[in-house]
Amino acid sequence: MTAAQLQPYLLTLIVFLPLLGAGLLLFLPREEFGQVRAWTLLAMGIDLALAVVAYLAFDPKGAEFQLEVRRAWSPEFGISYHLGVDGLSVSLVLLTGFLGPVVVLSSWKFIHERVKEFHISLLLIQAAMMGTLVSLDLILFYVFFEAMLIPMYLLIGVWGSERRREAAMKFFLYTLFGSLVMLVAILAVYFIGQPAGARSFDYGTVYNSLLSANRQLAACTQGVGCATLAPLAVTLQAWGPLMFLAFALAFAIKVPMVPLHTWLPEAHVEAPVAGSIILAGVMLKMGTYGFWRFAIPLFPVAAYQFRPLFVALAVVGIVYGALMCLAQQDVKKLIAYSSISHLGICMLGIFAFTAEAASGSAYQMLNHGVSSGALFCLFGFLYERRHTRRIGDYGGVARVMPFFAASFLVVTFSSIAVPGTNGFVGEFLVLLGAFKASSLWLGYPVLATTTVILGASYMLWMVQRVFFGPIDRPENGALRDLDLREGLTACAFMVLVLWMGLAPQPFLDRIAPATDRFVARAQLGTPDSAKVKDTDVRVTVPPIEGAPPAVPPPPVAALALPR
Amino acid sequence: MDTSWFTKAWANPQALSDNLWLIIALPAFGALVCGVFGRALGRTYVNLVACASVLASFFLSVFAFQAVAADPSVIVTSAANGQPLRFALSGDWGVWFQAGSFSAHFGLWVDHLSATMLMVVTGVGFLIHLYSTAYMEHDPGYWRFFAYLNLFMASMLTLVLADNLVLLFVGWEGVGLCSYLLIGFWYTDAANAWAGRKAFIANRVGDCAFLLAMMLLVLTVTAFARAPSAEPPAIFFAQRRAVFAHAATSEPGPLNFKVLEEFAQYIPASLAMGSKGLLGTDIPIGPLAGHTYGHTLTVIFLLLLLGAAGKSAQLPLYVWLPDAMAGPTPVSALIHAATMVTAGVYLLCRMAPLLVMSPAAMATVAVVGALTALYAALLAFAQDDLKKVLAYSTISQLGYMFLGVGVGFFWGAILHLVTHACFKGCLFLSAGSVMHGNDGELNIKKLGCLRKEMPWTTACFGIATLAITGIVPLSGFFSKDDILHGALHTHLLGYEWVMPTVFAIGSLGAVATAFYMSRAYLLAFTGERAKDAKVPHAHESGWVMVAPLVILAALSIVLLLHGFPGVLKTPAGQPETLMEAFLKPVFGVADKLAVEAHSLEPETESNPWPGFVIALALAWVGGAAAWYLYKRVFPARAGKPVPAVFAAVRSFTVHKFYVDELYDAVLVRPIKLLSIGLFRVVDEGLIDTVLVGGTGWVTARIGSLLRYLQTGDVQAYAAMMAVGLLAGVGYAIFEVLAK
Amino acid sequence: MEISPVDTQNYLLLAATLFCTGMLGVLVRRNALVVFMSIELMLNAANLTFLAAARERLDSTGHLAALFVIAVAAAEAAIGLAIVIAVFRNRGTVNVEDIRTMKY
Repeated sequence: MTAAQLQPYLLTLIVFLPLLGAGLLLFLPREEFGQVRAWTLLAMGIDLALAVVAYLAFDPKGAEFQLEVRRAWSPEFGISYHLGVDGLSVSLVLLTGFLGPVVVLSSWKFIHERVKEFHISLLLIQAAMMGTLVSLDLILFYVFFEAMLIPMYLLIGVWGSERRREAAMKFFLYTLFGSLVMLVAILAVYFIGQPAGARSFDYGTVYNSLLSANRQLAACTQGVGCATLAPLAVTLQAWGPLMFLAFALAFAIKVPMVPLHTWLPEAHVEAPVAGSIILAGVMLKMGTYGFWRFAIPLFPVAAYQFRPLFVALAVVGIVYGALMCLAQQDVKKLIAYSSISHLGICMLGIFAFTAEAASGSAYQMLNHGVSSGALFCLFGFLYERRHTRRIGDYGGVARVMPFFAASFLVVTFSSIAVPGTNGFVGEFLVLLGAFKASSLWLGYPVLATTTVILGASYMLWMVQRVFFGPIDRPENGALRDLDLREGLTACAFMVLVLWMGLAPQPFLDRIAPATDRFVARAQLGTPDSAKVKDTDVRVTVPPIEGAPPAVPPPPVAALALPR
Repeated sequence: MDTSWFTKAWANPQALSDNLWLIIALPAFGALVCGVFGRALGRTYVNLVACASVLASFFLSVFAFQAVAADPSVIVTSAANGQPLRFALSGDWGVWFQAGSFSAHFGLWVDHLSATMLMVVTGVGFLIHLYSTAYMEHDPGYWRFFAYLNLFMASMLTLVLADNLVLLFVGWEGVGLCSYLLIGFWYTDAANAWAGRKAFIANRVGDCAFLLAMMLLVLTVTAFARAPSAEPPAIFFAQRRAVFAHAATSEPGPLNFKVLEEFAQYIPASLAMGSKGLLGTDIPIGPLAGHTYGHTLTVIFLLLLLGAAGKSAQLPLYVWLPDAMAGPTPVSALIHAATMVTAGVYLLCRMAPLLVMSPAAMATVAVVGALTALYAALLAFAQDDLKKVLAYSTISQLGYMFLGVGVGFFWGAILHLVTHACFKGCLFLSAGSVMHGNDGELNIKKLGCLRKEMPWTTACFGIATLAITGIVPLSGFFSKDDILHGALHTHLLGYEWVMPTVFAIGSLGAVATAFYMSRAYLLAFTGERAKDAKVPHAHESGWVMVAPLVILAALSIVLLLHGFPGVLKTPAGQPETLMEAFLKPVFGVADKLAVEAHSLEPETESNPWPGFVIALALAWVGGAAAWYLYKRVFPARAGKPVPAVFAAVRSFTVHKFYVDELYDAVLVRPIKLLSIGLFRVVDEGLIDTVLVGGTGWVTARIGSLLRYLQTGDVQAYAAMMAVGLLAGVGYAIFEVLAK
Repeated sequence: MEISPVDTQNYLLLAATLFCTGMLGVLVRRNALVVFMSIELMLNAANLTFLAAARERLDSTGHLAALFVIAVAAAEAAIGLAIVIAVFRNRGTVNVEDIRTMKY
């Protein structure tokens, strides 16, 4: 089989290999901790290798969605098994693949009870996350989006800290609530966009069917042609904002945006190390990814209408998250609030609707995955030794754990966006794009820039209290430095931080075409929508393999939905 | 004699251009080796690696300097208009990151200004590395120290060599980072770690302003590049505009210095077209539309000033520098005297062509510099810690450099930068030597009589003191007084009141400088040993520590040549100094643009000697006052109580005018209280308890109300089903009958 | 001899009467076995309705449905009576008013 023949199966393998691994683990005896860990690590490692292959196989100058596969799944309902990646999703797939082995390595000595079930949960989450990122069918996306929740709930609720049950419950119900509202919107989009009999949940088909209606609606908001709106456009005018808000609610809870963020600090505090890394590293990006892929392109006019609100919330998130960090006594809670602050920057970049900001936001998603994942992973090593998260219980740790202190400092600098680390490139581009954004009050980017001061304040304050100063507790004096496994993980993070900071262009090259398309799709709802060409935004939908050629659907008739 | 040896580059300029990155990479590699393998390598090898990498950079810098200074065939052409820009070596190593219409490159260049800075940074840096090998010989963390020091050198060299603002910002933050690591080097003492953090955060406030300035600058330049072609500048430069627009919006990016200089050159030319000129025109497109170019440039430079004030410890962000003395003395010498703190001055000089377009910003720079100079000098009056005196002295001298920049006297500021690096480095290293020989004692009241016990150190300190107070014939005299002379005789249009004011303040500052430096010298080095000294006799340091002192002191004297007026003559017959002539290819552009844009009139008074005589007299006055007070008045009054007024003033000064406490009360504490308040009230209270918890509570309450339907009685359930059935049947009958 | 065909209406009326009687029995009677008998009565009423409709429309789908109902009724009676016997063994009574433990 040649490489080209293997390509359609690549994404399927990436998604389902962890499931296969989980199935294999079922047959292992539950006492064999070493074997369980080793097989899980192997499965995650192969998944990472496949992710790298997919990343390298992605051609930045090629079609929008590559490595596509589309099979019939439930043709009566228009649900197909459609996988494909564009520049952003293949980068996030790589990030997820990288964090897989890291998660297993970080929990090597941490988990001692129900080890088999723990690793099965890890593999299930990995499969679900990969699936979410590569699905191009709305129902398939929804299935994987929800499938992430249950293993994560188990992870927090079974293997977490003292208040794990409440935290797990809160996390689960909060995110489920948002997703259910999104399901309603998915069904609504399914019914309105296409005529009965030719309906489909496929992302590209849905998008293309809404395209001309969105254009008309955008023109109408400028005052042109409001009298001659097509029926679909009329429906969109009435229901579009609600549907956009439904999608946005689910993703805003996931990001999380202030004021929907209170599940995150508790979840992080109570989760085990692996849970925190997965949560901060990848799961939060599902929210921003959802905005990028679904919420904004499908409803650009509504997105433009609500843009001031979301930009304001993003900036509030940046500043508020940073201020919250200054008041924390718990290390993991502090890092959790710093995540909220960083993802506020991503959201600002997305809603600025400019190429620089969107590129920066996409790159910042990757950066945050690496730096937050690293922070939680490294702190996990410390927690394993001392079993306390209170900042006051530490002090002077750098004296006895110099290598650990050095790696933690490097990751801290990445978190506060020191140039030369990856954080700077993303933040700079987002801020620049936010400044360049049209019709955006300049005060927002100015306020967002103060994150450099606040970020340095809280991170260095925490670093000083934990690492520097005299050792006034004898327990801190007896700590041993990182061993080989931990050291290698730390080195991997440091190498990534510096590599992504000094040579970001290869990563940015793959993101660039996806950015251009996203910005074009977002611009469709703004006053500049006339400048956007159809060829920039239309999605090419591959036919279902093995199915008879599709008959072009009849034009959409007038729809009888209550106003 | 074959004079072509002076006019040809010693090394092939093209090879130098292609390998400029080595200047940065060598110390960076040294940092990596010392940091990762330092403990295994042992002291000797670590010292060797660290010093050798810097020495190699120094040699490369010498070759680059010579090539740029001597060989007129070394030229770079402006990407914007194809015109030769100035004598420079340059190289571009591709795109660093690029998105949309913005791109930042790994580009390095060496022109006369960079070459000067290179010599200062690598030369003084090497001497201090050498000094540190002896200073840190008993410290177990030596490998960390040299790793950080080398990393600092790499960052500073990036800052100096960068050919665009983004790469300069990399070096800018990098030196701030290394400063944080080095100030908190002995981190087991929490106070040192806190000093490092304070420095980093004060720098970050400046960096925030710097970032904002960069963003606004990108917006301005790209708006100009894309402006509709009916605008006056476009008509005027039609054939160059396309090239400029391409340069500003794709390669090499809007923040490249060559592009910025080209942008500056459009501004005065536009005046020929109309009375408003570009500065008075509104920005046509983009988010800044509606504001004039002139106002925007002023805002940009005020922000850059704030950024430079953070890095160079000017008002209002100077508070970190005195606390930074908690670090090892070589760190203070290198970072907080010679190199990092001069980065702000360097930045403003780099942006000179655009800076001169905004007289308001220049006036602000001059006033800030002058005020800082006087303010810090006054603070130094009451300090007993020798390093603190020197720290305030650094702030004060940096104020003079800013003053020079603000009045458009760029070469003067750079000359003072160079001479300051030498004599301040010498002063700090002498202080370190004093510490070394007196078991760490730095309180000048507890020293004394070092003249006999540490002759070399005393001599070097003395020479450097004379230099800083501005005594003929040392270099400090010429550099400082060139600035003051330039301040008095240049004219900033629209802000004429600024010049005499800053001259007066600067002169007062000169008197104060003479006073406190003489005080320090007299108390520490002359007289008798203090009764509560730590060790009865000090011992002189070894040659490894003394040699850099001697070299720096010698340079403090020798560099006067660069500032000596009248050595050369301009083509127009005006006398000029060596430094002015050397930096003319760089600052000549700015001067010409300033004249054309009618914002600055250069100095008219060509005879500096009357001013020099007055300045010399002022310095003598200050020194004599110190001598009189500390050698005659105070010893005579020993034992008598101090008058209350003087005691109060002294206490106020010793506590640094309570500025730190003011910042704490106005900024730090309110933010902390705000965050704790927000956390408890909004996050934990409002959102978590009321909204989220509330939703859960309401749901639970509804559930507990509904459960009363479960009566356990089967027939009740059946009855409910029957009722439902009857309702349905009734509805169906009703529907049928209604038809 | 002529026997006049019975009107479908009469069948439906009888079925309705049987149904109401059965429903009344379910709601009012205390003995569980009598409740079961009333349920059977209701099911028979439904059967009668099906058959009447099938006879009117000459469509044998009604017969099919009636057979289904008979089978389901038999199964349900078997299981239900088994539950009643189990309850009697545990509680000693088949009075539905005395078995109220599955309440709030």
